[in-house]
This record gives sequence, structure tokens and C-alpha cells, in this order.
Amino acid sequence: MMQNQNKSGIFEGVDRWAILYYLMIVLFGCLCITSASSEDSTGGLFAFSHFYTKQIVWMGVAWVFALLVLLLDSSLFHKWAYVAYGAGILLLLATLVIGTEINGAKAWINLGVMNWQPVEVVKIATALALARMMSEYNFSISRPGDLVKVGLLLLCPLAIIVLQNDTGSGIVLGSFLFVLYREGLNKWLCIPILMVAGLFIISFLLSPIALLILMIGVCTLSETMMNRRWRSRVVFLSSLFLSSILLYFCVQFFWPGSISYYGALLTVTLISAVGIAIYAFRSNLQNIFLILGLFFCSLLFLDTTNYVFESVLKPHQRDRINTFLGLMDDPHDLGYNVNQSKIAIGSGGLLGKGFMEGTQIKYGFVPEKHTDFIFCTVGEEWGFLGAICLLTLYCLLILRLMRMGERQEEPFGRIYCYCVAAILLFHIMVNVGMTIGLMPVMGIPLPFMSYGGSSLMAFTVLLFIAIRLDASTRTFNFR
Amino acid sequence: MNGFEGLQRMRTLQFVVLFIFAVIALRLFHLQILDRKYKEMAEGNALIYEVQYPPRGEVFDRNGEYLVKSRECYDLMVTWREMDKKGFDTVRMCQVLGITKERLVRRLREAAAAPRKATLVTNFVSKEDKLRFDACGFKGFHAVYRTAREYPMQVGGNLLGFVSEVNDKDLERDAYYRAGDYIGKTGVESAYEELLRGRKGVKILERDSHGAIKGSYMDGLYDTLPEAGSYLVCTIDAKLQKFCEELMVGKVGAAVAIEPATGEILMMVSSPTYDPDELVGRQRGNHYMQLLGNKRRPLYNRAVSARYPPGSTFKLVQGLIGMQEGVVSPGTRYPCQKGYYYTATRKVGCHDHASPLDLRDAVAHSCNAYFCYVFRDILDQNPEGVKKGFEKWEEYVRSFGFGRKLDSDFLSEGNGYVPDRAFYDKRYRGSWKSQTVISLSIGQGEVGCTPLQMANLAAIVANRGYYYIPHIVKQIEGRDSIDRRFYERHYTMVDSKHFEPIVEGMWRGVNVAGTSTLAKLPGLEVCGKTGTAQNPHGADHSTFLTFAPKDNPKIAISVYVENAGFGATAAVPIASLLEEYYLTDTITRPHLVEYVKNLKPNYRQY
Repeated sequence: MMQNQNKSGIFEGVDRWAILYYLMIVLFGCLCITSASSEDSTGGLFAFSHFYTKQIVWMGVAWVFALLVLLLDSSLFHKWAYVAYGAGILLLLATLVIGTEINGAKAWINLGVMNWQPVEVVKIATALALARMMSEYNFSISRPGDLVKVGLLLLCPLAIIVLQNDTGSGIVLGSFLFVLYREGLNKWLCIPILMVAGLFIISFLLSPIALLILMIGVCTLSETMMNRRWRSRVVFLSSLFLSSILLYFCVQFFWPGSISYYGALLTVTLISAVGIAIYAFRSNLQNIFLILGLFFCSLLFLDTTNYVFESVLKPHQRDRINTFLGLMDDPHDLGYNVNQSKIAIGSGGLLGKGFMEGTQIKYGFVPEKHTDFIFCTVGEEWGFLGAICLLTLYCLLILRLMRMGERQEEPFGRIYCYCVAAILLFHIMVNVGMTIGLMPVMGIPLPFMSYGGSSLMAFTVLLFIAIRLDASTRTFNFR
Repeated sequence: MNGFEGLQRMRTLQFVVLFIFAVIALRLFHLQILDRKYKEMAEGNALIYEVQYPPRGEVFDRNGEYLVKSRECYDLMVTWREMDKKGFDTVRMCQVLGITKERLVRRLREAAAAPRKATLVTNFVSKEDKLRFDACGFKGFHAVYRTAREYPMQVGGNLLGFVSEVNDKDLERDAYYRAGDYIGKTGVESAYEELLRGRKGVKILERDSHGAIKGSYMDGLYDTLPEAGSYLVCTIDAKLQKFCEELMVGKVGAAVAIEPATGEILMMVSSPTYDPDELVGRQRGNHYMQLLGNKRRPLYNRAVSARYPPGSTFKLVQGLIGMQEGVVSPGTRYPCQKGYYYTATRKVGCHDHASPLDLRDAVAHSCNAYFCYVFRDILDQNPEGVKKGFEKWEEYVRSFGFGRKLDSDFLSEGNGYVPDRAFYDKRYRGSWKSQTVISLSIGQGEVGCTPLQMANLAAIVANRGYYYIPHIVKQIEGRDSIDRRFYERHYTMVDSKHFEPIVEGMWRGVNVAGTSTLAKLPGLEVCGKTGTAQNPHGADHSTFLTFAPKDNPKIAISVYVENAGFGATAAVPIASLLEEYYLTDTITRPHLVEYVKNLKPNYRQY
């Protein structure tokens, strides 16, 4: 009876949907790890040497932690936020000294039983600290001084993580932009930051022509969203592309081979820019100048980065930068991992090959198949349907977290929930994106799915703090 | 920031989340559903196709004797990882396999470089050696079944051709082949490759990324068994072939025998030849390089590829065209003053014989002057002028199968050469007449034919005006017939009735008086026509066309011996012995065999 009461006490007001999504994802993750690592070990079905038996144990430990979090008083998180943040920073610094190096990143602490990555905890601590700082009574995000404080709060751990040579995990902190936007960060600040970040990644993935089209599209779209004159913008876009095609063919006809489509589109765009400027001046739409400025800046930025990258830097310097950006996991064979991963996922088809039937994973063609590339197992064995189901679960969980954030009484809880949503979204986007060739390869795990005790526990705690904060609000409301 | 704006921003962020997931879903849709590429790549990744080789088809002669046998042999493979490295007895293994220690060590080093892959140690391991090897119990080694060629009669090197591993060109040309497969390169082996090779089977195995085998794929559902190659029955008479090869030892040239009634090639010798067994087995490469380096080119199939001046044997064609064109009749007589003077001082020389002769005796005595007159008249008496006459003549000649491939089943068949009007127009800048090209009348000058074309001429005369395309295959396992083109009669442009005087002349030349009396065989009614072809390389080529018996001929032979002098010196005795051996199965003139074997034409020493 005691237990029962206790239990209902813990679970009172918790968001059952979020926990349901979480459990489904974690169990599915265990299934995938079982399948991915079944060929690696020789022991019996339940031998501890298996990755999946270990993962089941970690899962149990994580649930204990989750219960502990639910048992804690919600005000504790607010109180201890800065302490946790400071401890996290100290841990990161300690890792720089006593840490062990895995895959080139000195980001791990050997605890005997397991290798533990402090950055997982730092994510939680930073989220808490950010939530606390931004929920202070006199905090205003539009005040430059406060904004600098936020920046410092994020940059401190980021700098240390970069020093650890673990840039991939560091970039995760960039996802807090998501939260800052929700809390009213000036959108004119968001756009350039997003653009630089996006261009930085995209310029390595896309061809110049695709980039140009993308930039034109994004700029026109954002301008349209601001000024809400849809029809004329559609006319503008279509006439832009039509005239560029016309120009291309005309020039090709008279002087074959003298122009690429990129050149034609760029010319037409530059000419049209003059027209746009006149239009903006006449109709008194100042923000168009801003968009134009942004467009030209990113054009310059892209062309200069490409130029510097290709012609000024020497090959070994290029490699170093790529490695620094986490773009090159395996300096000898950059394309191999992603290609094998795409093959595995692509060969899954609609329904997949079935549990434990994936040939690409089983026979070791996919690297890191149970950790960073766990999504390959989903893609190959469960097919398109399985992958979509998993993504739907993730998507629902993130939307749920945002909803949980919105119904909080206190800004602290809302900001924290958004932080969790942002971290999860970023991990999923980058991890899944890299397995299907949309993102550069960065060594960050897929939340709740990838093998590894420290990441599973950290994500669980991260999520359950949000659930706990949400639960306290709701119980308070109900009473 | 008020609550309303916050709500709006939440909507934007929700849209961002959905957008990101939509992009990922679209990309997945493309990867997994639309693009087939990755599925194929995945199969290539994880499955290996282990080839099961079929035994190659065997070849019999027309009497059912083995010409080519397939012998069981094995490729010995090693997988380094599974090898028992401790206590590995190199010496014993070398002894059993008959390879040198250096070779074994080299191969093992290769195997160590790819430890999970099966690497070839040595090929052509005989069945006995394989059994002995198995008994030794070396770990990590396994044998792959292959077949090697064996030639019990030891004849027909160029005729049968050889088999070797495929090269890059073969791989590019035909998707059937994979590196390490064998392919027929020349002769029958290459002409009937697709029948002889059978069909490879395949065993599909699963492997991991290191290449280690994980077992059969889908329990062998998609495996196929190898299909053995079909056997062929050749038209060759192996004994005749062997006899002829013995006679041709030490001579350069070719001899071809055809059964006129069917166009079947009874024998085809290109000399010098080689022992076909030399091009099988581990020493194949060395022997091949030796043969390739031999300046007399034993790998060149003179019988179908060489281009020789036909010499006087071409007079048969000249006489036939003359009669068909009406410029000469069997009774026409022409004088011969030891030659044909086409200007006051310039002549085509001739040898000593009675004069004037009629057509029959001109054939029998091989009178040069006579056929110069005939050829001149063919050209000059054409109402449309010399050049039209020449064109007509060329058309006739081509109808005898000269100047083009006969379309036999030999892929290396040569064209020979018959000059055309344009050729002379170019050479003489348009001004030429019958005198200019007079040497064509006696088969000299620009005209050239392959020994096969000459044998075909003998068959045409024997058939009195038609031929079947000469071919080498009589029967194919599992098929009712050979290619249809070999059943078709090809008529020349000369009527059948005009052949009798020519045949009569050939008969007289052997049996009454003439250039080929040495070929006379009592009761066999041999007909023949000698040829002595001048050439820029040395002494005259000796050639002889013959068929027997005169009526209902059973065999038509062309023998061509380079630089051996008169037709009667070398070609006549060889052809005569062959005829006798084929028709009566006996050799009644051992002295002639001795004579031929001792006959050594004077070739340039290399």
C-alpha cells in the first residue's frame, strides 16, 4: 500500500504521453542495438559482453535516475541551476586534464565501468542555467547587456568543448537559438546567425547553383513573410528563373559553352537587384534593403570561403579545418562511412529486411552501427515505414515538450522545456541527417537510441526534469 | 514581449520542427523507395558469387576419335586466416603439388595480404595430386574444380585452337566472363566457344565486410548448377590430319582437304604447327611466349589466313571463264613459243612442251601462253571495252569464292585478294590494257588466295560448278543440324557443262602426260593441276590442286608448300599420298613418304 501511494505521488501530474513516446523510443533502440551488434559477440544470448544486454542494464539505471528526478522537488532545479552549471564547467576543465582520448576527442572520463562524457551533463546544466538566467525578474532579452550575459553563459562551455576537440557536441549548444527565439530574441539577430550557420554547413554539401537557388528562395520567402505581398513575389521569382533560362539559351545559341546556368542566374539576379532596390525605395519598404544586404553578404561569404578554401589553403590545412569542423571522421576515406550508411538505409526499401536480417549492418559494412549510425539499422531492417514511425515518435515528443513548455506558469519551466526540445531536435536533425547524407559527419548520438550508458542516462534525466517541472505546474493547477 | 507574440513564435517554431522532419522524411523516401541504386550496391556489398565451373565440351573427329578431351583438374586456393601456420610443412606441400618453394612462398605472401580471401596457390593440379594433397590434411586449403584440355591425337594445333584465361577485352566484350575464366582464343575453340564453354553455375554466399564467408544465402535458393559444355563432332579425319602433319614437318605451308559433296573440311594443316598440349597447364605461358617469338610463326593459321599467289592452279578459273564468255572452246588451239609475247620483246615465259595445244592439253601441260591468250580475249573481246571486260572477269573470279571470306566457321579466315578496276586505275593512272595485267592469267601478280579458297576451288571443279561453304563442325550435341549456311549450294557464274573439258585436262595431266603424273594412282582416277608460284621471297612456291575419283569425287585437296620449287617437287607427292591414304587407307609407296619427309626446302635460317 505504501508503495502504491508513493508511486501515485511520484507520477502525479506527469505527462503520460511524453513518457509513452520516451519508452517506445528507448525499447525500439534496444531492439536495434540487439540487431546491430548480434554478430559482434560470441557469448550466449544473455552474456554481459553483448551490447544489448549492457544497454538493457543502462536502461534500468536510467529509469532509476528518472524516478529520482521525479522524486525531487521541482524548486530544487531552479535553486541548484547555477551550481550545476559551475560544476559542469569544472568537470569539463577536469576532463581536459584527466580525460581519456577516444576518436581524437579528449572528452571522456574513464570511470572503470564505463567511459563517461561530461558534456552530456553540461548540456543539462547549461539548459538549467539558461532557464534560470532568462527567467530572472529583471531579465530582458532585448537589452544588450543581458544578451551578452546569455552569450557568455553559452560560450564558456562551448570554448572548453572545442578545446577538447569535440566540436560536434559543442555545436549542440547553438541549438539554444531555438529557445532564444521563443523568448523574444530580435528576429533580425536570428536570421544572420541562422544564415551563417546554415551556409557554413550547406556550402560543404551543395553545389554553387543549388546554393544560389536556395539563397534566392530563402530571401524571397523571408521578405514575403515580412511584407505579406505573396502574389507579386511569386511573379518575381518565376520571371527571374524564366529570364535566366532564356538568357542561358540565348547565350548558348550564339556563343556555345561561354556561360553556365549559374552565371546566367547570377547575372539576372544581380540585374534584378537594382530593380528591387528601386521598388523598395518607392514603396518605402526598408526591410527589403536588409534582405538584399544579407543576400549579398552571404554571396560574398560563400564565394570568399570557397575561394579561400580551394585556392589559398594548402591540402593539409584544408584537411585540418575539415577535421576541426568534425567534417572528417576518417581522414583516409571521407566518403566511405556515409556511403555505406546510405547503402544500408537505401537497401531497406519500404518494409525493410526484417529484424536481424539486415546484411549491411550484420556484416560490418556500416561503421559505428550501434552508436552514431544506429539509424542505419532502423532504415535497413524496418524500412521506410519503420523509419517514419520512429521519426514521428521523435516529432511528437518534441512538439509535446513545446506544449509542456507553453502551459508552464513560470518562465523557468517553459525555457527549460524549450531547451530540451531544442537539444533533441538538433541531435536528431544532425544524426539522422548525417546517415542519409544531408549533414556532415559529426560524432553526436541519436537520443535514446544510440548505444552508450552516459548518453542514455543524460537524455533521460534531461527529459524527466522537464516532465517533473511540468508535473509540478499541473498538480499545482489542479489543487 | 507579450503572450500573443510568444504564441505566434511558438507556431513558427512548430513549423520549423515539422519542416525539418519533412525534409528528412522526403530524403528517406527518395533513398529507400525511389532510388534503386542502393539496393544493388547492398547486394554487391554483402553477397559473393562463388563460381561453379562446368566441364568444357569435348571435340571428336568424324570417326568418333577424341581430338580434344577435358581432363579434371583443380585450382588450389588458400585462405590465410584458416591456415595452420604452426608446423606448416612447406617442403612436403611443394613435393605433393610439384611447385617450387619460391612460388609457394610468394603465393602465401599474397594470401597473407588478404587473410580472409581465398587466394590462388597453384592451378592445373591433377586429380591424383589433389587426392594426395587432400590426404595430407593441410588446413585452410581447398580445391576448385576446373577442366584442362588434353589432345590424345596430338594434332591440329592451329585448327583446334587453344584456351586461355580471359583478358580485359574479353571481359569488356561479353558480360558472361569474369576474371579467371577460360576462353577459346583461336580455331575451333574460339569459333564454337559459346557451345563448348557450357554455363557456369553459381553458389551465393553471404560475407562480412572483411570478406569472411558467413554461409549460404537463403539456403541456396538462388544457386544454380553448372551446365557442361556441348560436345562437337568435327569433320576432321584425325588420322589423315596426323599423317599430313607428319608429311609437312620441315616445310612451311598449308594443306586443306574438303569433301566436295558436303563442304566438310577433312583435314587442315598449317605448317609449322605445334603440340597443342604445350599450351595447357602451368608451363603454358612460357611455351606461348616461345611460339610467339618463333619467326616462322607457328601460331599463324596459314590454311585460312595466309595470302598466297595461286600460280598455275588459277588457270582452271581462267579456262572456265573463257568458255563461259565464249572466247575459247575446248577445241581452240594456241601456239606457244616457250612463252607468250605480248610485245615484240617482252613475254610470259613457258616451259618445254608440244605446241599448239588444245584446252585440255593446255591444262594438262600447264601452258602459260594458252591462258594468256584466253585472258587477253576475255578482256579485249568484251564489246564494252577492256575495263568492262575486266570488271566482268573480276565478278566471275569472285563467284569462285576468291577475294572475300568464304564465311566458314573460322574466325581468323582471311580475304585473299582480287584486284578490281579501281585498283589498276589508280596504279596506272587510268591507262592500262589487258597486256598490263597479263600476269593475272597465270595466277601471278596482284591476285592472292588462302589455301582454304584453293581447296574450295578444287571442290568446285570436282562438283562441276558449285560448292558448299567449307566448315569444320559436323554435329553439335543436342542439336539436329549445324548452321544453315553450310547446307546451301553456291553456284559459280560458270555453267556446269564447261567444267568437263577442264576436268578432262586435269585427268590427263595426271594419267596421260603432263605436269602431275606423279599423282597417278591406279584405279582411283585422280585429277590434278599443279602450280609453281613465283614470289618475291625466294624459290617458287609449290602447289597442287587435286580431287579423286574423277566421277563422284570423295576428296578435294589443296597443298601449298612455300619455296619448295615446282608443283611436282613437293605438293604433288604430298597430295597424292594423302589421297591414297584417305581413299584406300593404305600407303603403297613408302619410298615416296621417305622422299617427302626428307624434302627440306631451303628456308631462311632465323
